[in-house]
Amino acid sequence: MTTLTFPLSRIEGHARVIIEIQQGEVLSAHFQATELRGFEYLVQGAPAEQMPVITPRICGVCSTAHHVAAVKALEDAYEVTPPPLALKIRELLMLGQLIQNQATSLFIFTMPDRLGVSSIFQIEDHELGSDETQTRIATRALQVRKAGTDLIALAGGQFIHPIKAVIGGVTSGIETEAAEKMRNYLEAIIPMAQELFDYYWETSLELGERLGTWGDDQPACYISAIAGSCPNFYGNVLHVTSTDGNVCTTFPAKDFRKHLTYQSTDYSYAGQTSYEGEVIRANSLARINMLYNLGTPQADKYMDRFREAFGQPAHALLLFDMARGIELVYALERATEILSEPLNNDEVAVPYTLKDGEGYGLVEAPRGPLIHHYSIKKGLIDQAEFIIPTVHNNLAIERALRVAAERYITEEWVDMELEYAVGRVVRAFDPCIACATH
Amino acid sequence: MKTFAVLQLSGCAGCEVSLLNADAWIDEYKLLYMPLVISAYNVPDVDILLVSGGVRTDEDLYNLRRAVKNTKQVIAVGTCAISGGIANLGNRDEVRKLFLAHQVERPHVPRLLPRSHPIDTFVEVDRYLPGCPPTPDLFMAILFDKPDFKPARTVCQECGRKKLKDMRPKHLLGFQSGEVLPDICLINQGYLCIGSSTRGGCGAPCTRAGHPCVGCRGPSNAFIEKESSAWFDSIQRVFASMTDIPPEEIEAALRSPQLALFLFQFSDYAGTDRPPRQKEKVL
Repeated sequence: MTTLTFPLSRIEGHARVIIEIQQGEVLSAHFQATELRGFEYLVQGAPAEQMPVITPRICGVCSTAHHVAAVKALEDAYEVTPPPLALKIRELLMLGQLIQNQATSLFIFTMPDRLGVSSIFQIEDHELGSDETQTRIATRALQVRKAGTDLIALAGGQFIHPIKAVIGGVTSGIETEAAEKMRNYLEAIIPMAQELFDYYWETSLELGERLGTWGDDQPACYISAIAGSCPNFYGNVLHVTSTDGNVCTTFPAKDFRKHLTYQSTDYSYAGQTSYEGEVIRANSLARINMLYNLGTPQADKYMDRFREAFGQPAHALLLFDMARGIELVYALERATEILSEPLNNDEVAVPYTLKDGEGYGLVEAPRGPLIHHYSIKKGLIDQAEFIIPTVHNNLAIERALRVAAERYITEEWVDMELEYAVGRVVRAFDPCIACATH
Repeated sequence: MKTFAVLQLSGCAGCEVSLLNADAWIDEYKLLYMPLVISAYNVPDVDILLVSGGVRTDEDLYNLRRAVKNTKQVIAVGTCAISGGIANLGNRDEVRKLFLAHQVERPHVPRLLPRSHPIDTFVEVDRYLPGCPPTPDLFMAILFDKPDFKPARTVCQECGRKKLKDMRPKHLLGFQSGEVLPDICLINQGYLCIGSSTRGGCGAPCTRAGHPCVGCRGPSNAFIEKESSAWFDSIQRVFASMTDIPPEEIEAALRSPQLALFLFQFSDYAGTDRPPRQKEKVL
């Protein structure tokens, strides 16, 4: 037996891929998360009210999603309903997170795979030479990404570990002048994002043609906290589709155990979830498959183009990346819509009373549905569970890795393309290891 | 062109994300290693090595030791690298027992060390950049070693909220309850804000947005080489002069996890034979 180990980069966190082969046969393909901090244990005994400040530290990339999920879980436990204006500002927060994340995944993590370079920052080092377009890609990519973090800073107070969502609402509204400034800024970013995405689309088609495959395209079940029409990433209930694309189950966050099976493994610090024994997929492609439309003009154009080219439901792996671009445009457009509304004219928070009990908080994070579940005793966290989108994807990642391994491994040799394929497979799912292991 | 590398140990990548927002380094520095954004698997010889995250696994320790061999200057970035950060909450005895007992046997992944460590437990550190995470401006200031960068002494000085003499709360409001009045000091409103002695330089984004300072940058220079009790006492004095809140109430609240994890970030040498970190090394 031969064991092939592939270190991973351009993903969040520490992980590697281990493929075991024997005489050309792929015995196993494992996705191995190699870090653990133990959040479910270390928050035990913490005052429940502090979770919105502590849990964003699970991950600096997905911090906003944890911040909002924590507040929602506590509001569920304390039975408090935040006012409409607070919900609007939280939706903005989730959109800022989506812009930041999709821009990072598209242009910093996966664009180099399209261009055959090791990073967008090192383009001038590469044999491709210092092509002017490419240099500008790095700068423009960072600008688009920064629009997301600036929006998080405006709506959340701080762009890495936001603080403005509080139990019962948000600490403050957004002043008209600041909102208008941000809206103008985002409107200027939209064409830049589209230009980059068009280039990404084109180079992805070239990549697909060169490889002769778009990766694992077997049908799968999809899971998301948004479905239907005009999504709100603030999240509401979970939806799972069957392999033919029909929505087969809808359930609230508190019922996740009835539908999803979690299992830990001895080769990774992250576990895996399945849906009634089936492989599930979360993240961008799940949403694009489950949504009827996005409800903003430019994004819906891309959506139509995507449907025409790839159908619905679409299963090919690299389409996860393409779907991210559509969502990037959507998030920018939707944010400008919200910023046009008054955001400083109404109450932003309602009072609450501390209570013991259980609370569930669900949001649709960029990587898929995220649930925080707390049980609170004497005001302190007794038990906490973090149900992480990447964990839903872990079986799907391994299935896709196996498809890639079988393509590039024969009895005679291992095609060196496998190393790149492994990177592309994992990045298509945009896994977050800090979150998955927490 | 100067070169730099970013080694990420066990952490949340928030420091890296913040660094990406400080994009002005692109034209001045060559980034040679940062697995978050570059496919490179060994730390090359560089002028500056930024290390984020704490030492939680044996692999972290191995990577750290190997990386510092090839570098001229080591900068510990963020609370985790400086003190273990949030993962330090897992160093409490009762948590460690729980935590380690619940782990299934995993022979193929890096082994967890019995506790999380700051990086200077194992290697020499030239500069410290505290913050959870440090802001992009702070990253720029330390990378470019700007002599004209003079951060405010405390968060309080950067906050801009007005302190009122006649508004003396009798009890703490907790961290989140109640409406936050704009422009008025959060202590006057009964929030446990510790910006009065937390290191400045961040621009006070949290307090400006209406959330009390949790002290993520650690103590100001006045307390950095002292035991944590000195910082606790100073916070008590501020509350005694501005409020009528009983000191026991403040004391208990200061020891809650979200503050404790930052309050102790420069005092974890207390009770050991290690000398305190020199304030000159801290930005």
